[in-house]
Amino acid sequence: MILQILVNGILLGGFYALIGVGFSLVWGVTNIINLAHGAIALLGSYITYYMFQNLHIDPFITLPVSFIVLYIFGYLVQRYLMNMVVKAQIFMLLILTFGMEIFLVNFMTTFFSADFRSVTPDYAGKSIEIAGVVVPYIRLAVFAICMIVTAIMGFFLEKTWTGKAIRATSLDLEAAMMTGISPRKIYSITFALGSALAGLSGSLLSLTQAFSPNIAGGLTLRAFIVAILGGLGRVEGAFLGGLLLGVIETVSSFYIGESYKNAIAFGLMVFMLIVKPSGLLGRKYYAEVKH
Amino acid sequence: MSVLLEVKNLNTGYGDLQILRNITMEVNEGEIVALLGSNGAGKSTFMRTLVGLNRAWSGEVIFNGIKLTNASSEKIVKSGISIVPEGRRLFAGMTVTENLYMGAFANRKNIHERIEKIFQIFPRLFERKDHLAGDLSGGEQQMVAIGRALMNEPKLLLIDEFSLGLAPAVVESLVKVVQDINKSGVSILIVEQDVQMVLEMSQRAYVMEVGTITISGKSSDLINDPKIKQAYLGI
Repeated sequence: MILQILVNGILLGGFYALIGVGFSLVWGVTNIINLAHGAIALLGSYITYYMFQNLHIDPFITLPVSFIVLYIFGYLVQRYLMNMVVKAQIFMLLILTFGMEIFLVNFMTTFFSADFRSVTPDYAGKSIEIAGVVVPYIRLAVFAICMIVTAIMGFFLEKTWTGKAIRATSLDLEAAMMTGISPRKIYSITFALGSALAGLSGSLLSLTQAFSPNIAGGLTLRAFIVAILGGLGRVEGAFLGGLLLGVIETVSSFYIGESYKNAIAFGLMVFMLIVKPSGLLGRKYYAEVKH
Repeated sequence: MSVLLEVKNLNTGYGDLQILRNITMEVNEGEIVALLGSNGAGKSTFMRTLVGLNRAWSGEVIFNGIKLTNASSEKIVKSGISIVPEGRRLFAGMTVTENLYMGAFANRKNIHERIEKIFQIFPRLFERKDHLAGDLSGGEQQMVAIGRALMNEPKLLLIDEFSLGLAPAVVESLVKVVQDINKSGVSILIVEQDVQMVLEMSQRAYVMEVGTITISGKSSDLINDPKIKQAYLGI
């Protein structure tokens, strides 16, 4: 039984890692705590839901659509909204993203209603059993995609010019400007990537659980905890933080009770903030982001 | 000698506080020009304004015939101005090689040849190329800062307080490097507290006091100027 719970936790953790990567990246680079992250993820869920339900397209095929649409959405939001106030106090940015969250949740409620929806293709119930552990194919595929996308993000940040410019900007904004990096462009790309990753995780979420606009806040909170656990702006950190949160939530739900899982997740976050505020893999310089 | 950088009546500050008043100066092609002044005179503010980190309130900055007043730092770097900033400002969480690569962000041609050249100038950096910049000694960090600025193949190199906190032997070797960079055709505008050293290495100098240029002239003349001797050389 414990093995089954652990596997379930790891599979859930893969999803948390993906939703946390985008959130942590945006926070670490642009200093924006995006309270609309969960709502943006749900836009991805509804893109998949709409295409599956109305156009009969396999949900996995909708993933690139979700990624691209929300990349463009994120880019425009940063370019024409966030960049206007990016030098304002963090409190202003919080209010702005909070307002955006309320807007998006109400937008989705108006267009898709507050009813719970789910995406259930023909193969939804199929699973594989290894050593007594049952793993639904869909959850396995979702986990694999989360891992692959997280790895690609890590590669992108380490190896490409844009990725390095994003890291440089997060380490020292003015020094980045001195090398000819345009913070406006980097902020727009970063927020676009964060939104695209949120959208992708939302699309994958629609395959594993029922969703409604009202779960947006819960998703943002999960992303927040993952970012704190792992360390800001670090893909490996979000990966570890996601897995840790997934396993702890699943194990505590089983042994202590479903209703305690939020308390335990937040307890874990507070514990991390006390003992290692920079997160599992966050280094000192990530806690000293200069803006 | 043609003028490379021309600054006319530059005024700027922070908030309501004016720091620079009617700064007019120039750097000719192939020159090393020193900017002297005590702490708080406005030298670093001037350098920051030249690279687009601080907005000019009025006045003009013309570089290589192009007006760069309040241009984006992206455009300024692309046009051929690089800076070795005060405090080095390296990307501490990136390796030496990555820091050098970032210096070529605006100008990516022949990047491998350029990085080889930097390693020839600073063989120590080749030995430390995979180390995080934040883990290096002060002297090594300054080498990375100079190397990063050179990766842009600038026509004008701005150097802000490069000897600060470094051992005299390290400073001596870096002075030699700066002189070699200048001989290769790069003009240099240098801000430095070590007045004796910088007057010896430069052709011309400006003295800034409370945001205004008060003295300017040939470095060889200024080094014998009684006012400079008294105010900055303690003689």
